[in-house]
Amino acid sequence: MDYYLSQAINGICQGSIYALMAIGYSVVVGVVGLVTFTHGEVIMLGAFASFYTFQLVGNNLIIGVIASFLASAFIGVFVFKICYERFFNAPRHISLICTIGTSMLLRNLAQIIFGPNNKPLLEVVPNRFFGQGVVGLTLVQIIVIATVISLSFLLFLFFNRTRWGIMLRAVSQDKTAAAMMGINVRLTSLLGNSIGCGLGGVAGMLLAIYYQTLVATMGGSAGMKAFSSAVLGGLTNIPSAAAGGLCLGIVENLGITISSASFRDIFAFIFLLLVLIVKPEGFAKKTGVRP
Amino acid sequence: MTIPPSISALFQKKGMRISLGILGIALLALIPQLNLKSYYMGVLCRILLYTILAGSLNVINGYSGQFNIGHAGFFGIGAYTSAILSLQLKMPFWIALPISGLLAMIVGLIVALPTLRLKGIYLAIVTLGASEIIRLIALNWMSLTGGPNGLRGIPAPVLFGLKFSRSQQYYYIFLVLSLVFYFMTRRIIQSRIGRAWISIREDETAARSLGVETMRFKAANFMYGAFWAGIAGGAFSPYFKFISSDMFSLDEGFNILSMVIIGGQGTLAGPIVGAIIVNFLTEFLRPISQYRLVVYAILIIAMMWLRPQGLVGVSKSVLAERRFGRSRRVHRR
Amino acid sequence: MACILEAQSICKYFGGLKAVEKVDMQIEEGKIFGIIGPNGAGKTTFFNICSGMYRPTAGRILFEGKDITGMPPEAIARLGIARTFQNIQLFRYMTVLENVKIGFHIRTRSGFLNALVRDRRYREEERFIENEARAVIEKVGLSPYVDTLASNLPYGLQRKVEIARALALKPKMLLLDEPVAGMNPLETRELSEFIIRLNAEGYTIVVIEHDMKFVMNTCHHILVLNFGQKICEGNPAEVRRNKAVNEAYFGKGLVVGGVS
Repeated sequence: MDYYLSQAINGICQGSIYALMAIGYSVVVGVVGLVTFTHGEVIMLGAFASFYTFQLVGNNLIIGVIASFLASAFIGVFVFKICYERFFNAPRHISLICTIGTSMLLRNLAQIIFGPNNKPLLEVVPNRFFGQGVVGLTLVQIIVIATVISLSFLLFLFFNRTRWGIMLRAVSQDKTAAAMMGINVRLTSLLGNSIGCGLGGVAGMLLAIYYQTLVATMGGSAGMKAFSSAVLGGLTNIPSAAAGGLCLGIVENLGITISSASFRDIFAFIFLLLVLIVKPEGFAKKTGVRP
Repeated sequence: MTIPPSISALFQKKGMRISLGILGIALLALIPQLNLKSYYMGVLCRILLYTILAGSLNVINGYSGQFNIGHAGFFGIGAYTSAILSLQLKMPFWIALPISGLLAMIVGLIVALPTLRLKGIYLAIVTLGASEIIRLIALNWMSLTGGPNGLRGIPAPVLFGLKFSRSQQYYYIFLVLSLVFYFMTRRIIQSRIGRAWISIREDETAARSLGVETMRFKAANFMYGAFWAGIAGGAFSPYFKFISSDMFSLDEGFNILSMVIIGGQGTLAGPIVGAIIVNFLTEFLRPISQYRLVVYAILIIAMMWLRPQGLVGVSKSVLAERRFGRSRRVHRR
Repeated sequence: MACILEAQSICKYFGGLKAVEKVDMQIEEGKIFGIIGPNGAGKTTFFNICSGMYRPTAGRILFEGKDITGMPPEAIARLGIARTFQNIQLFRYMTVLENVKIGFHIRTRSGFLNALVRDRRYREEERFIENEARAVIEKVGLSPYVDTLASNLPYGLQRKVEIARALALKPKMLLLDEPVAGMNPLETRELSEFIIRLNAEGYTIVVIEHDMKFVMNTCHHILVLNFGQKICEGNPAEVRRNKAVNEAYFGKGLVVGGVS
């Protein structure tokens, strides 16, 4: 029983990383209005940005967060220029194929630049344990959950309290109407896309710290998990996407208790299939918009 | 890639077309008699293999407008099926081959079913996931797939005492399969089924209003594509004699996808052209092979920017629409 | 006369918006039935429910006495209801002929094997489709444009292609969503005559339209919707006289003449 409980706690912790990836994904899809395959690569690059930052300035988590956010946000600009900007009015599959191409490009460049092997990222956070027996939290887990919660809170403030946040919400609801209200849709989407990608980057850093390793090909499964979680919110609803991430983390960690850790990704996939079969439009509340 | 009118007029006449076709096939069949180095024969074999893979992916992506990016998964299922059947059950190649196709088809149905009602992007991500899951299973199911060691010593097919072990001989298997594939696909595309697929690609709502059972036809379309990927896989493993899970990674799926996109979706010739170009590029880039996928990625993006319908793609299709697409509203009122 | 399509207190809500609210309707076989109403009155939503695009929030749709509520569009098309769209949904990169050919989908049944072998059924069906498609195109007067890309046709002709494509299904009932929108008066009159001619051949036709003159001249029976509710039903003369209708179109107290 204790084992399952500790796995559930691990699940919540990992789930909160997935939640952050899914939040980033939902922001991107919501603001840009086009689905992306590059998110996994953006996450991976965030992880590498933090890795090199830690090597340069030492294990300072705050600087790591900022560095991974900025690096991924910058990649977001690049992705936006290549995949979205020209294709807002084109059929969707064109920008979709572009994002696939960009994802290939980024992953293979990363493999060349960073090398194909796993890199260890040890002892960024001291190995400490709070709790009794098997039930408890490690310091890493506390830091991960705290980072995710504080970033979500910042995002919430940004969306509801700032001018730019409100413009972003307007753009994600209706680009034409937003343009008629004098909002620069292009610039706002660019900003929203960068924020979403930046959040993905921070999630990548957390993943690397949590697993104490990172590799250039980690983007594939990360992107898949971001998508699976976001599907729960119909790809654009942020709170539901976060809930999806948590569920996914728990499902995965309970799943590997009945099998082996190498099947971890299979549970993410089964989770996605189940969501698609049971409730494909996601659990977000439908507002009065026609389908 | 415009063909002069005088030549295209030649193709209009049915008798002419048939005789040209026979001539072409005869030329293709004579190639192994040229005693090319086995390196070149190997390249030709790979091109033929990829014409089937890219062609079957094109049936899905190009003709019905669905979006499959994990085609390598079905390829892998076919390859593992024929390898396991021939290694463990000593089944002859000619029986294992259709079973490989059928199994890939069944998996294709399972993958496609949950997403048939949804927008194409869901199918895309599910195929991506399925491809990765298939690879993971192949990597971890030690007893059946040999895990990370892969499967070795897959026996060469034998027909009437003739053993297809070298690429000069295996060339004929790939050639026949590829010809059968293109013959069948051409007939189906021109039939009522093909029309239904294309109508789904062009406008799903309209197709449904005309009574096209879109879910059934999308499923059939996906299964047909997966079937041929399975056949290609089934033919691949005795040719290569060794398979391992990393041959069927996502990158392999992207490799096939890039052939379809570079050649042109929604035409029969497109994937052939794509397979030829990409495979020659692969050979050309062999000294810097780690940049191979980088080059393909750039080519894919360039295609989308400059010529979304691909090199020989139809310019008259939703697939070719660019930034001025969806201009229907302009006509209103 | 027998009732071919019956709607029983159909409701459709989009969130808080009541697009259609408790509409009853009975369409008699062999009639031209008009549905009119100001913008946003719920006409197209109602059509989408009849053709299976939307599932109604409440209520039932009966077609020839059979409950078709919530059936998918393709099944309803198979039963014999064909439709056109307000915002033209042609296969824009296909020729007129190819467009119409797809309309024959439900009237043919060759499958994979037939197509592979090209047996007799396949050849006969292909010939049937080719001939019939040309005949339908001829009927709507598009023969000169058989091989023209649908998107290259002017707007009025595109509407006709949609009608031809719907006729290819050989439906029992034809739903036309704003068939004369964007047509000039001459084309409108021609289409009106064409619809009357089709009706004489036995098609039951339902038309949504804004053009009052067109509706009054073409339809036998008219239903008026406003804010999702039925405000009036009757023959053209009755509707013309109805006070609620005039108010819906022109507002209260401003009515000078009738709707014409």
